[in-house]
Amino acid sequence: MLEKRDLILAIAVIVLGATGTYLMLPHRHGSAKPRRVHLIGAVLAGLALLLFATFWRAPASAISSLFFYAFSLAAVAGGLLTITSRNPIHSALWFASVVLSTSGLFLLAGAQFLAAGTVIVYAGAIIVTFLFVIMLAQMEGRAPYDRAARAPGRATFSCFLLFWALFYALLIVRVAPHPKGVAIDTDNERLVRSGEIASSYGLKADHPARLISELARRDTLRMDDISKRPKPHVAGLGEALYTEHLISVELAGTLLFVALIGALAIATPKLPIRPGDPRPQPLTKL
Amino acid sequence: MLVVIGILIKILVVVGITQGAVAYMILLERKVAAYSQDRIGPNRCGSNLVLPGGFRLNLPFGLLQPIADGAKMILKEDVIPSYVEKPLYILAPAISIIAAMIGFAVIPFGPVGTQAPSGVNFQIAPGVDIGIVYVFAIGSLAVYGVILGGWASNNKYSFLGGLRSSAQLISYEIPLGMSILGMVLLAGSLDLNTIVNYQDGHGLWLTRWLGLPAWGVFVQPIGCLLFIISAFAETNRLPFDLPEAEQELVGGYHTEYSAMKFGMFFLGEYLHVITVSYLTVILFFGGWDAPFLNQIQSDWFSGLLKALVLLVKVGLMVFFMMWVRWTIPRFRYDQLMDLAWKALIPIALVNLVATAAIVELLRSSH
Repeated sequence: MLEKRDLILAIAVIVLGATGTYLMLPHRHGSAKPRRVHLIGAVLAGLALLLFATFWRAPASAISSLFFYAFSLAAVAGGLLTITSRNPIHSALWFASVVLSTSGLFLLAGAQFLAAGTVIVYAGAIIVTFLFVIMLAQMEGRAPYDRAARAPGRATFSCFLLFWALFYALLIVRVAPHPKGVAIDTDNERLVRSGEIASSYGLKADHPARLISELARRDTLRMDDISKRPKPHVAGLGEALYTEHLISVELAGTLLFVALIGALAIATPKLPIRPGDPRPQPLTKL
Repeated sequence: MLVVIGILIKILVVVGITQGAVAYMILLERKVAAYSQDRIGPNRCGSNLVLPGGFRLNLPFGLLQPIADGAKMILKEDVIPSYVEKPLYILAPAISIIAAMIGFAVIPFGPVGTQAPSGVNFQIAPGVDIGIVYVFAIGSLAVYGVILGGWASNNKYSFLGGLRSSAQLISYEIPLGMSILGMVLLAGSLDLNTIVNYQDGHGLWLTRWLGLPAWGVFVQPIGCLLFIISAFAETNRLPFDLPEAEQELVGGYHTEYSAMKFGMFFLGEYLHVITVSYLTVILFFGGWDAPFLNQIQSDWFSGLLKALVLLVKVGLMVFFMMWVRWTIPRFRYDQLMDLAWKALIPIALVNLVATAAIVELLRSSH
């Protein structure tokens, strides 16, 4: 069950984080906020971040835990700066740093392919496209609506409500920490611990939710091939994707395809809106 | 601890050698350019050198030119215009060079693992399963240096260069990634070393029948061609050097940069050329494979010989890239995009599907 100390700390994280974020968000109305308010917001948010870090459990070895804390703090702080920067370009760049830190965490968890894939897809392609669009859209100075947050109070409230729900849900299923000296160091052990979340609800062995969580716990990194030798990383991942998660993969593919068709439909010129406007020439070749 | 020190030494050696190589690549580039245009090129530096003690040294080909070039870069005044966005302006060349350097971590410079002489691995980070994907991930970050440099300079020529570059690099990453998948399918691994070992092996029946080695260029000729074309575009080399097209954009994204900041962009570009040449050789030209070398030899002599063979092949590839620069004129922007989206990507897709089908047929016939 939840200890009182944990509960107080968690509430402190939420309250400090929400206040700090609210103070740091760029507001639309009135003049720009004084520097001092930003500073106070940054201090509060930083405090919340440090308190939040006390809930994390780093991997056992010293170097790994150093990287774990560095990447995690960078990811959360980068996320905060993404939403509070006044300049959209800076927001996009902070977002890129969030993606890079997250893939660092993936690497620490042993998911090499996921880490590289995240960097290629998000940092390498999507955020560059963001930058491209922002730069092209802002040739004549920055528009005020791009420099301000929309309804910062309500946004902060709803986001931190969601954060609280997630945080609380994870806190109550968190099992007691290992006694000092007994560290979680193997990947397998860590996977088993994530499975304890499901079992702590006391689900029956044949309950579908339990089955799914058992399946999710299976180690795809170390699948064996026919001759019982471990397969390389990506082969295991591919096998898991195209056997157990085939429908999800197909659905995602279909979604992207539909989006592609939609983009083509939007991009083709339309009939004039008002009578008298010149008719656009139909595309002779695409 | 010993492992960490070993890795640190390896990193230092690789960084040192590649930086030195870049210096001499610039000399080579100037020489190749000169001979292509029927000039002589730099030939003074190092000739008639009087050393302390009265020794006279007469080095040919302007061999000390790189030192003069480097000194010039470092000693020039570092101008930061007042209208730039300063943090990003300074960050951009740093990103450019870091992205070019850390790609080397998984590239094998010679035999690796059981085939290497005991106690040494010609690779900074051995045992990375996803080798080639890592290189692509790092390569996809290199675009930030260019796009940020162009934007932070607050200059329309730089900005146009940055925009062109971002579109070009994103477009050409797709055929670049798809062109290697054929080799990955054949070798059954993303690990660069496994791919080299595959090329040392038997290969397909066609190459065996013709008596050719199973190098990528023979078993995946289309993939090889696509890879080389896309690699030229990824490194911003002619005929794809639109981001810095001097005749149109003054200097493109690095117009506003001076002294060593400009030098860092330059260094990053040449390091990228080295990385791409290594990848081309490892994926499509057999890596360290030569008629008299195979996987079983693991003594010191053959280990060094393999590294040397690889180095010679990479040198030839670098020379090829410089040669092409003076052979083919620059593309127009729309031609560049058409080439990527309407030619290279469909061909790469067809090649991938065909290779997958053939690999599956051969596997099931065993």
